[in-house]
Amino acid sequence: MKNKLKIERAILDLTQEELANKIGVSRQTISSIEKNRYIPSTVLSLRLSHLFGKSVNDFFELDEHEKTHT
Amino acid sequence: MNVESIKECERKSIDKLKKYQLPNRFKKVGWILFAIAFVGLFLTTKDTNPKLIAKYAMLIGLLLVSISKDKIEDEFIKSLRMHSFTFAFIFAVFIAITHPLFSYVANFVVTEKQALFTGIGDWMILWLLLSVQVFYFEYLKKMHR
Repeated sequence: MKNKLKIERAILDLTQEELANKIGVSRQTISSIEKNRYIPSTVLSLRLSHLFGKSVNDFFELDEHEKTHT
Repeated sequence: MNVESIKECERKSIDKLKKYQLPNRFKKVGWILFAIAFVGLFLTTKDTNPKLIAKYAMLIGLLLVSISKDKIEDEFIKSLRMHSFTFAFIFAVFIAITHPLFSYVANFVVTEKQALFTGIGDWMILWLLLSVQVFYFEYLKKMHR
């Protein structure tokens, strides 16, 4: 899964620490999501969506091979 | 009492079990207990009651560290914790299964006589489970810093 979390964070001019505090997670969590090492839960994704004022699909996107179930 | 209400009752008890974690301050308590017990282990010489108490106090200390929450216990930390429990479980089972074979071979090489297959022992299994979980969890957190 690809994500544009880093871009969205830059738009709001937030550090990883600040973003983490706003949505109630650790800085490690934000860093891991940005590096695609961790896929957040629906609740966390919706919290990010609320903060960015955008739909989840705007900053999370499935890879081509993930779009179809084989 | 119908089946649905029994199921609901069981679901509630399972949900209670899910909240097994202690507050973060117990982590410090656990490390202090572990350190005291570790020192105590070397102060006692033979297999006496104080040594046995020190050995089990070490396990209790590690258990407190293991089940205490982090300062920020979010979903990512929970996933790392789950990985560390899984790894520790598999590791401990693997060691418990292979240990008799290794000890047999080692005994055979040293004594050159027919050796016995000996088990690993309950304390060592618990020690392996807890220590591997605690240190692997810290390692995972460090890797994701």
